[in-house]
Amino acid sequence: MKNRLKVLRAERDWSQQDLANALGVSRQSVNAIETGRYDPSLPLAFRIADVFGLAIEDIFQREA
Amino acid sequence: MTGAAGGRHQHRSPYLWVVLYFVAIGAIGGLKLTDAINGPTGFILLALATGLLIPIARQRTATCSSKAMIDYNRRVLFSSFGYALGLGIAVTLWNNYELSRPAVFAISLLPTLPTFGVIWAMARYLAEEQDEYLRHRTIMAALVALGIVLALGIFWGFLEMFELVPHVWAWWVLPVWAIGLAVTQLWQKVRGA
Repeated sequence: MKNRLKVLRAERDWSQQDLANALGVSRQSVNAIETGRYDPSLPLAFRIADVFGLAIEDIFQREA
Repeated sequence: MTGAAGGRHQHRSPYLWVVLYFVAIGAIGGLKLTDAINGPTGFILLALATGLLIPIARQRTATCSSKAMIDYNRRVLFSSFGYALGLGIAVTLWNNYELSRPAVFAISLLPTLPTFGVIWAMARYLAEEQDEYLRHRTIMAALVALGIVLALGIFWGFLEMFELVPHVWAWWVLPVWAIGLAVTQLWQKVRGA
């Protein structure tokens, strides 16, 4: 699964730690999701969408 | 001045304490094998050497990402102390007294119960960890470690049955599992998983 976390973070000038704090998870989690090594659960994906004020499908996309 | 000293102490690499711990264990084993020390002295030194795990646990706590991991480290450290102490008492009693079967059963529990504490600590960690990625990573490492224990255990069992290798006591499953867990977590760290 692809995601736009890095781009969305950069647009807001957030570090991985900033996003991790906003989500209530570890920085390792943000890094693993961002680099595609870990796909978040649906509840966490919803939290990520809420933090960015976007729909889940605007952040996560299927691999082409 | 105290703060500066504390700062230097905090910045010591955790690997230093790990190396010191293994050097101490090796030295105690060497002294015991060469009969330079007796059994009880060896176990007292072993229990004292477990104290070297405190700075490791403290440093891990300082860099821990979750409260569940801090609690896990504390519980494992506590269990490790109990294990070293229980093992020392049990072996000393076994070597020095003619014990009845119920008494032998009872002293066998002394090192066993703290190892149950390690298993309980892992179970509590998995139940309490709120970070799903950290939980996932630990579960994967634990499963790999379990696979290593099963594979080695089965292979060793057949080698032993065909009298190619000596007998190994079954309690080795936990140390082997713990080593497998540590190696897998190190591997996860190296490859950035």
